[in-house]
Amino acid sequence: MASPAAVRELQRDLENKANDLSRIQKDIAKNHQVRKKYTIQLGENELVLKELELLKEEANVYKLIGPVLVKQDLAEANANVRKRIEYISAELKRLDATVQDLEEKQNSKREAVCALPILLNFVMLLFSSAKC
Amino acid sequence: MASSKGPASPAVRVAEMEKMSVEQLKAVKEQTDLEVNLLQDSLNNIRTATTRLDLASAALHDLSLRPQGKKMLVPLTASLYVPGTLDDSEKVLVDIGTGYFVEKTMVEGKDYCERKIHLLKSNYDQLLELASKKKTVADEAGAVLQAKLKQLAPQT
Repeated sequence: MASPAAVRELQRDLENKANDLSRIQKDIAKNHQVRKKYTIQLGENELVLKELELLKEEANVYKLIGPVLVKQDLAEANANVRKRIEYISAELKRLDATVQDLEEKQNSKREAVCALPILLNFVMLLFSSAKC
Repeated sequence: MASSKGPASPAVRVAEMEKMSVEQLKAVKEQTDLEVNLLQDSLNNIRTATTRLDLASAALHDLSLRPQGKKMLVPLTASLYVPGTLDDSEKVLVDIGTGYFVEKTMVEGKDYCERKIHLLKSNYDQLLELASKKKTVADEAGAVLQAKLKQLAPQT
């Protein structure tokens, strides 16, 4: 028998699922932001690597650390930039996996959120027909 | 919503748009308009960067004409200049990004500027093509939307 308590519970459930859905969507948006930042950094680092590779062995390379320009070894600079590129690529891959996972969750939650109002209406219909 | 404009010819696109409801069509148009705006912003950014590189290249060229020991005013801040003399103008420090600077000769420095300007120009051309394609789609969506709205209006 449909009762107001069951209806209320379904409504609460719907609210919870809707909140979860919006939370997942916010997470996906944040993921996109971070992914954009990393992609830009990756591009810049690859440009730097290309420039460094064009240099001759004895060319002077300096790194700006705060307000100080510090002379660096070309090999060391190459290694540093390469390591950074590796790190950023790994981060991007991790973000990709996370966003895929989030999107799956979003889709399943969305289906649940769409199904619940139908169920709710059905239950309310049963209840009102049972009353009269 | 996947939107692949590559294989679809304009006729196919318009036919698909006709099948959509007014709501869907509005969404498509808004989406494409947003994309067009983003692309325009990127195009502007590239134009600014190219201008700055042009300025740098011009400054380099001017510097190469100056003799060593020439008196000059060195900017310490935006409003404070200090007299100094030009040292060796054969070596220049080039900012290649992420905090790295490379010492190059004047010729290499000019070459660096040229290379960057070419890179930016080719990026600009690619983006321009993409932006005009998206604009076409946005315009088509707008036209079909107008037609649909006109169709619905006289019925009332």
